[in-house]
Order: sequence, then C-alpha cells, then structure tokens
Amino acid sequence: MKPMLNSIFRCFLVLSFLGVQAQTLSNPTKDSIPSNPKSVILKTNQEKIKDSIPAKVNRYGLRVGVDLFKLTRSFYDPEYKGIEFVGDYRLTKKHYLAAEIGNENKTTDDARLNFTTKGTYLKAGFDYNGYTNWLNMENIISIGLRYGVSTFSQELNSYKIYNSNPYFGEVPELISGQKSNGLSASWIEVVAGIKAKVINNIYLGFSLRLNRLITNNKPDGFDNLYIPGFNRTYDGDFGVGFNYTVSYFIPIYKKKVSPVKSL
Amino acid sequence: MKKVILFLLLAVFSLLGCEKDDICSASTSTTPRLVIQFYDSTNPSVLKNVSDLKVIADGMTEAIDFNGNGNTVSIPLKTTENSTSYQFILNSTSSTFKNVDAIRFDYSRENVYVSRACGYKTLFDLDPIIPFTHTDSAQADGFWITAITVEKKSIDNENETHVKLYF
Repeated sequence: MKPMLNSIFRCFLVLSFLGVQAQTLSNPTKDSIPSNPKSVILKTNQEKIKDSIPAKVNRYGLRVGVDLFKLTRSFYDPEYKGIEFVGDYRLTKKHYLAAEIGNENKTTDDARLNFTTKGTYLKAGFDYNGYTNWLNMENIISIGLRYGVSTFSQELNSYKIYNSNPYFGEVPELISGQKSNGLSASWIEVVAGIKAKVINNIYLGFSLRLNRLITNNKPDGFDNLYIPGFNRTYDGDFGVGFNYTVSYFIPIYKKKVSPVKSL
Repeated sequence: MKKVILFLLLAVFSLLGCEKDDICSASTSTTPRLVIQFYDSTNPSVLKNVSDLKVIADGMTEAIDFNGNGNTVSIPLKTTENSTSYQFILNSTSSTFKNVDAIRFDYSRENVYVSRACGYKTLFDLDPIIPFTHTDSAQADGFWITAITVEKKSIDNENETHVKLYF
C-alpha cells in the first residue's frame, strides 16, 4: 500500500503543476500592448468601438480518454493486465454524463492466498463541475456519482491453512486451481475529480473514488477479495479507487453565455 | 466544493491507512484443536483433574503446551493426514506411577475459507465407525484410561468438548 500512496501523491503533484500551467497558458494576455500602435489608431478610426471583451462561449461535446495508470501498470506489473476507457458528455453548463468501461486481469499474491481475478466492468453516472472557469478556460473540478457493474471470474491458485497452534509445524501452501465463473457485483461510487486542459482539446484528469458495494455474488468456498473496477474489497462494503486519465475533447456545438449583470 | 474534496481525500487516505483485515485476529475461529475433558470413572458425571499429564504426538519430541493438571486438554490434529496418534502420559514426572496410554484419532478433513488475512482453516470429522483406537504403550503398564466417549464428531470449533476420557 505504501508505494501506491506515494504514487498517488506524485500524481497529485504532477497534476497540480499541470493545472497551474494550463491556467497560465489558456489565459493569454488580452490587454498587452500591441506591437504596432498605428494599427490600433487605424482601427479605432475605421470601426466603431467594440466591447473589448469577446462573448464567452461554452463548448459542448464528447470527451474520450484512457486511464494511464492501468495502461502503464500493465507494462511494469507482470501480475496485472488492465485497461480503462473513460468518456463524458456535456449536458448542461455544469453537468456531464460520465462513464468508464474497463477490463482487468489481476493476480493477487497475499500472505495466505494467491488468486487471479479476470473481468469486465462498466460504470455510468454524472459529474457536476463546481469550478467557475475564467474567460476561455475549460478546466473541471467535479464531484459525481457512478453506478458500477462487473462480471468476472475468480481462480484460487494456492492457499495456506491457518493454524494458531502449529504443533506439527507450518503446513506449506496448497495448490488449488478452483475456479468460479459468472460472478458479478454492483456498487455506487462517489467521484471527486480534476480535469485540466493542457493543450487545445487534450485534458489530463485525476479522480478519487469511494465505492460502496450493493450486490456481491461470491464464489462457493471463497470470497471476492478483488473485483474488477471496484478494486480490493475490505471487511465491510467500502472500497477505494482512482484513475489518471488523458482524454480528447470532441467539440460538437457551442453556446454563448449570456453576460451576468454586475453592479 | 473544496471542502468536499478535502473530506473525500481524507476519507480515502484514512481507509488506505487501515490494514486491519491484514492481520488474522486471535478471536477468529481458525483450525480447531480436539478438546478432551477428563471425568471420574467411578462417578462419570464429575470432572476429574489429571496429575502431571504429558500429551505427546507420535514422532514428536516435545509435548503439547499443557500445564499437566486440570480437567481439559486441547490437542492439535494433523492437517495433512487423516489420523493423529498421541501418547497420554499420566504422572509423567514420577518413575514408579508413570503410565502411558496411546490413542489414535481417525478423521476426515475439509479446508474451509476464512478470510484474506487468515486464509483457510481445516475442519475435522471423526470417523463415524472407528473414531479412535486406544492401545497400551510399549511398556505393558496397563490402561489408566478406562473409557473413551465421543461427544461431538464434527470438530469445527474449540468451544465445546469433543471427547471425554474416564479414569
């Protein structure tokens, strides 16, 4: 767990840095002095003086991406193969329909158990953007909900017998190979996320998830200690997750924002 | 909004910090031992304390952890074989009154899932026809155990008596 915590913090650092960059990048100096003052004079002569602030436009569309963490982990962790695609569609100014779909194949090696989980999951829900963007920024700090479903199989590779009175010595681990197919689980996720526009339509995102199991179809004589999409299960119904995404925004239409009257 | 995120972060990291279910707690019921109680053969409903009893499995050099006196002893069964033989040595510290009886327990085994931290446990079922074989030891010193009864065939916890020995 320690290295995971570390990596989460590192991701955060990188992300916050990128966020700052994005803000400075996407906020070009509108009121800088033009290089050629003559042209300004000419313009003012020819045209009527326009409002210097262009109308604020919100872009609506579909954003699709991939979880970089799962993708990279598949390369460095021989016990893990996984991929997750993410997508969201902007419904209103602040609301987004959001979904994740993924597939995982993970072998968990615990002190007393070794098992392989394989399966596919789908999460669907919405995000609410609580961040008020400046003029032409399109960053998102959101909170959202998902409903997740997963179908998977569990294969127990080996296990150890726990004996609190090891008079005859510790028994070596036993090979099992017991496989349970057609298992399923569903859960609710609370998602807190950040998406920062890095260049044009490319976004980097990070989200933290708190999950709670609703249904859990357990195998006979074993348990779902890992559920694709839900991640590790704990004693209770709760679980946690995160993703680190890169996504591309496909603009579909634009809406002008009616100016808000100030004092 | 920021407060909500902060709270969520806190909740997540506090959950990550908890590794409670990684330690198999002592209160969890895992592989049980066979619980034996000693009764008075002249008055079979009354518990009787043994004196300097040493219980040692065949092929082992050390006796099981037992203080030698009292009326209850819990003995581990082998989780890799379907029988375990024990020698019950009464008055083990005395050279004149020392008496050795041997009992072999025959059973079937089942490995049952417990939890992530504990892994599996083995449960036992004493053989329904011949649950035990009572023999005298190499030294013909006679039987000190006069009768053995099986109270509970299935051994799945240590909270009950499985076998009663009368002497």
